[in-house]
Amino acid sequence: MREHRDRGETLIEIILTVVITTITVTALVSSLATAGTAGQAQRSSVTADGVMRNYAEAVKAAGRTCTSGGVYAVRFTPPAGFTVSSVPLTLRCPPPASPLVLTLAVEGPSSFDQTMQIVVRTP
Amino acid sequence: MNDSDQVRGRDNGAALILAIGFVLLIGAITAGLASLVTSGIYNRINLEQVRDRQYAAEGAIELAIASARSVLDSASGCTVDTDASTSTQLNDNDIRVDWTNACRVVRSADGLVLIQRNLVFTACVDLARRCAEADTIVRAQVNFQQGSTGAVTKTYIQSWSVTG
Repeated sequence: MREHRDRGETLIEIILTVVITTITVTALVSSLATAGTAGQAQRSSVTADGVMRNYAEAVKAAGRTCTSGGVYAVRFTPPAGFTVSSVPLTLRCPPPASPLVLTLAVEGPSSFDQTMQIVVRTP
Repeated sequence: MNDSDQVRGRDNGAALILAIGFVLLIGAITAGLASLVTSGIYNRINLEQVRDRQYAAEGAIELAIASARSVLDSASGCTVDTDASTSTQLNDNDIRVDWTNACRVVRSADGLVLIQRNLVFTACVDLARRCAEADTIVRAQVNFQQGSTGAVTKTYIQSWSVTG
């Protein structure tokens, strides 16, 4: 009589265990996938940050060669998949008394685009 | 009740306990992953804010140098009072720049008396008071070269240190 009751309990336990295990494994796989996606996004963002810094330094370095009334040339090639731009889009050296405030933008393969302001001054 | 019945009775619920233990283990791993992702995002945002603040401070100093240049255009000697401050907003940061006169008179090797017209610029987040040492983001010493007419012809960055 007892053995008969035990059989039923064991089956319910096993079914419950399988359900719980399935749910937790699904949660684990889902969280691993999310962590992977977040890691990739973070890497893209950090790369975009590096591109932004390098671009800003290239623009500032070009600005240091400015002479009043002259033009400056920015030597910078962004890595593959990234594009850079600046507003206003000018390569004319600003007058010594009126430095130029530039808004730099970096667009990358992900949606983590970045913008930053820098100042270019004629020495 | 024989020995076999006793063992079976003790095994009742063991699978469920194991499943609950498994749930707790996976829960801990998931929480760890969530924490890792959150701290990564927080660090990235923090890094971006530091970068924006640093470039804002550098830009504010560049603007202050241009302002100082116009003051020094008509100055002569070292006695001119150039101590001042400016406030600029760049990259959503309010930056204050304090200037200090560091003008010096030196004698060259051939006996000429030369004026070294230098200013020290200190940039910090604008807290409506002079930049304290602990708040300083960028400090720069700049030399203003003057032509024979007294106008500044060129500026030279003598030192440029990023401290925060």
